[in-house]
Amino acid sequence: MTVLLDVDRLSVSYGRIAALRDVSLQVNAGEIVAIVGPNGAGKSTLLASIAGIVRPTAGTARFRGETITGQALERTVRRGIALVPEGRHVFASLTVLENLRLGATIRTDRARVADEIAAYMELFPILAERRHAPAGTLSGGEQQMLVIARGMLSDPALLMLDEPSLGLAPRITDQVYALIETVRARGVTVLVVEQNADRALRAANRTYVLNAGLVRLSGASADLRDHAEFEAAYFGIAAAGGQA
Amino acid sequence: MNAFVQILVDALSLGGLYALTALGIGLIFSVMRLANFAHAELVTCAAYALFALSAHPLVMAFAGSVVLAVLLAVMTERLAFRPLRAADPTTMMIASFTVSMLIQKLLIFSLGSRPKSLDPAPVLSQAVYIGPAQVSLLKLVTIAVCAVLLIALTLFLKRTSFGLQMRAAAENFTMARLTGVRANAVIVVAFALSGVLAAVVALLFAAQSGFVQPRLGVPLMITAFVATVIGGMGSLPGAVIGGLLVGVVTTLLQTFLPQDLRPFREAFLFALVILALLVRPNGLFPARGLKERI
Repeated sequence: MTVLLDVDRLSVSYGRIAALRDVSLQVNAGEIVAIVGPNGAGKSTLLASIAGIVRPTAGTARFRGETITGQALERTVRRGIALVPEGRHVFASLTVLENLRLGATIRTDRARVADEIAAYMELFPILAERRHAPAGTLSGGEQQMLVIARGMLSDPALLMLDEPSLGLAPRITDQVYALIETVRARGVTVLVVEQNADRALRAANRTYVLNAGLVRLSGASADLRDHAEFEAAYFGIAAAGGQA
Repeated sequence: MNAFVQILVDALSLGGLYALTALGIGLIFSVMRLANFAHAELVTCAAYALFALSAHPLVMAFAGSVVLAVLLAVMTERLAFRPLRAADPTTMMIASFTVSMLIQKLLIFSLGSRPKSLDPAPVLSQAVYIGPAQVSLLKLVTIAVCAVLLIALTLFLKRTSFGLQMRAAAENFTMARLTGVRANAVIVVAFALSGVLAAVVALLFAAQSGFVQPRLGVPLMITAFVATVIGGMGSLPGAVIGGLLVGVVTTLLQTFLPQDLRPFREAFLFALVILALLVRPNGLFPARGLKERI
């Protein structure tokens, strides 16, 4: 297995508050890896610092062996990393179709992009139906599908999703995770941040439990599901640094 | 009827100039949350370029002034605003004041503060008749030019992929960059476009006023800035409608205020602005995602 993303002792501080402390994790090509933890655990900060939105105070992240921390934001997607941020972040005033086209900003193979957009519209007929409507008028679930499709249209090697199930009904969450499984089946590696631990453990090959900026527990999802310390790690009762 | 046509032409030609100026300011604000007061000096310098090239045919003089305004706009971005991109909006606003003052004083220092007479397009200073109504050809041309530019800019923003990237950047700069939109390219193009708009405004405004002086662009910029606030900072349609609205209201005040009060029409205008903002504090068409910055 080749390591696609290698995060090495990454620390991030906001002023005097440490959001991440010495976080290390690896994502192998072809895996789905989940990061779970409660609100404020530092999950979003971790994705933001991998994407280049937040500058770490110490440590590095390497993608395909190259250091990516501290790079300009528009480099991230060109390296093959697509971020689907928390809270969807569709371009609300742009149309559904414009949002999709924007996902392919870095690509020059227009014919294939058009085919892929058509394929997503077939997969989610609502996107075809509302193609000329402002994306802000879609429902939360529809926006989530749109943002994942937009991320995929950059043809990434790694898709990072931040809380894709947040605020969605269970049935819609099922659809989102079915889509994530499709994404992986196409050979795209997935790193997903989730508050919904149960959902993440079911979807991911491996899971990291993050709490108060520290990795408390990590391992194969199948092992963690019944792990005695899982709940303690998730809720922050365990001693720091416990590894499975 | 005659009076109505004349007032309409006056209102639209004035409003069109304000709309183009407001659009130049709005373009920059929408992508980098910078209230660029130095836009006034882009207009002024473009007018001086027309003056300097007045011996040449209008097309050449105008081309020269466009090139100068675009270069100046791009240079101010590169030298003054890019280093401050991560700074507080207030810092950037003060920087734009500084740039504005610097250029103004340089103009006074090198060219003097006395107005120089300038008539870039004498052919336009004649009257034409719309039915029985006598109106100025220059004002009709002004309206036409503003309409054409607004349509061209709309097509650029709506129909081209770079226009799409600019609109995305205006709504959420960080997310746009994460989809691969290049921040520097978008910002430089926005400044270049604001330079083009300033040069067009300079030509039309100088043709109306007949002279150029170092503070030529300042009142125009201030009124246009107010127009962008009324329209909703960061919204381009808002800037256009705000500009037209201010032009119409100014013309109406000029026409219908009692003679003694006309010198104070700006006071009435700004009183109306304050009232409008009390009712709609974010302007008539508030832009989305105003909090997001680079």
